[in-house]
Amino acid sequence: MTNSFKTIIITLVTAFLFVACTGNAAPPVVTTPVTTPATTAPTTPTAPAFDTSRSISLTAREDGSGTKTAFMEIIGLKGKADPANIVIQTGTAGVLSEVRSNPGAIAYESLGYVTSDVKALKVNGVAATVANIKDGLYKISRPLSIVYNEDVLDDQVNAAFFAFLESSEAQKIISDKGYVSIVDNSKAYTIDGSLAGSIDVSGSTSLQPLMILLADAFEELQPKVTINVSGGGSGTGYKNADEGVSEFGMISEEFALEKAPSCTHQIVCKDGIAVIVNPVNPLDNITLEDLKTLYNEEAGASAITKWSGLIK
Amino acid sequence: MNYKAIRARDAAMRGIFLFCAIFAIFALGCITVFLFAEGLPFISRVGLTNFFGTRWHLSSASYGILSMIVASLYVTALSCAIGVTIGVLTALSLFKFCPRRLVATIRQLINLLAGIPSVIYGLFGITIIVPFLRDYISPVGIGYGILAASLVLAVMILPTVVSISLDALNAVPKNYYEGALALGATSEQGVFKVVLPAAKSGIFAAVVLAMGRAIGETMAVIMVIGGSPVMPRSVFQSVRTMTANIAMGATELSGDAATALVATGVVLFVFTLILNVSISLLRGASQ
Repeated sequence: MTNSFKTIIITLVTAFLFVACTGNAAPPVVTTPVTTPATTAPTTPTAPAFDTSRSISLTAREDGSGTKTAFMEIIGLKGKADPANIVIQTGTAGVLSEVRSNPGAIAYESLGYVTSDVKALKVNGVAATVANIKDGLYKISRPLSIVYNEDVLDDQVNAAFFAFLESSEAQKIISDKGYVSIVDNSKAYTIDGSLAGSIDVSGSTSLQPLMILLADAFEELQPKVTINVSGGGSGTGYKNADEGVSEFGMISEEFALEKAPSCTHQIVCKDGIAVIVNPVNPLDNITLEDLKTLYNEEAGASAITKWSGLIK
Repeated sequence: MNYKAIRARDAAMRGIFLFCAIFAIFALGCITVFLFAEGLPFISRVGLTNFFGTRWHLSSASYGILSMIVASLYVTALSCAIGVTIGVLTALSLFKFCPRRLVATIRQLINLLAGIPSVIYGLFGITIIVPFLRDYISPVGIGYGILAASLVLAVMILPTVVSISLDALNAVPKNYYEGALALGATSEQGVFKVVLPAAKSGIFAAVVLAMGRAIGETMAVIMVIGGSPVMPRSVFQSVRTMTANIAMGATELSGDAATALVATGVVLFVFTLILNVSISLLRGASQ
């Protein structure tokens, strides 16, 4: 009895001391980023001096991650392996917390998930903003589209789903999930009670997760309609839409007519990836070439390993 | 109630108990069959040189896990070196040199360490140990890697090492120690030169058990290891253990890549099997 009582007391005291210690240690880590968001960024180096001889701590996502696949594809390293010194984080939260706590880290993350306590770099001088992605100025972005034969829209069910993709309900899901909505002034979807049937959508695995959410929302509005969403890749998307296997194909690249001659396309949304660094890092802008060198396993002698290689 | 009904009920209960007893074995069988039926054909298909090669690159169908095996072994060895040293010395202290009044309390507190979920260890590692190593210790400015993982694991295996070593020390007959004193040895000499060697098989079992825990630990390791599938050349370098490899890809990969994870599981399973068998052998030897 007395023993376990003693144990509990000691545990509580230890826990209290621990909390007290870490409580004192934690604030500097948290508060410095908050006080230096993009406002002080351009010229005044008010933040604690950044040691440019520091190693660049390259951060990436795990293999199979949609963000990673998109990023590597856009910077021109499709299918390449990571450089040896990479630190892999298995989720958005992991990437953000690494960049937040490590002054030397650089990482990429879907624009929608970037928080204000990390700093998003300009790429080739263009800021990573929704407006710049919409206008196609920001380079690390890509359209996620559906391809279809115009004849499929003669069918009421298909036409209704097509209209739904532009509705305010769909745009809300798109923005909530971190994608960039490109439809201005979207209107609410009007439910048609008589609608019944099924739609097949297949193709790009980059668009697939979003399409599943959109399809679920549509099925909720139109309970008699079922939508099958399957993957296969952009190539499958073109092929299935062209051959009429699926009503809509999904692609995650600029539409190429020669891949599906009978089809046209419609952009569902855009996907933008921000390059992020710690707020104390004085770097504001990075070129696509530098990014490609950083994340290139085969960069060899031209590899950039120190921040002084980027901050000039 | 007549005799027949009682017999029938007894038989039914016996059946239920037998089912419960077999259930665990059944689960073990299922897991083993799943691992080997999926993993072995994969290994033979991609070839031993590919699978035990050093390059893990999914888009070029390279599934080499040698660097991960090496990383797993390094992490296990280093964490055991740290954990066992501290653990055995702790056990010795609790056995003879610590004030009697504190022994029970310290022991209970150390056991409390065993109850902390591994994700908490990982969180501690990623928020305290990794930044500390990065900013103050590492010559290359990287905190992730073998050292960070080993430090976290060393703390995790402490309770195992301390409690089993202490049991082993307590199991040594009292008259060994008294005999040593009677021959003119000091208390320290008695403990270190007589009791400790007498308890060595038990302590060795503790080490092997700790190794099993260290090699199989996933969550705490994945958070501090870095995750780059390259051959370890430094303790301050992002590497990947077998467990981290499986956990990182399990929810994202499909097809051959997912099967490669199962095959990684086969190798890990074989390693833990070896450790478990050696524990049984050690236990058998000591009794």
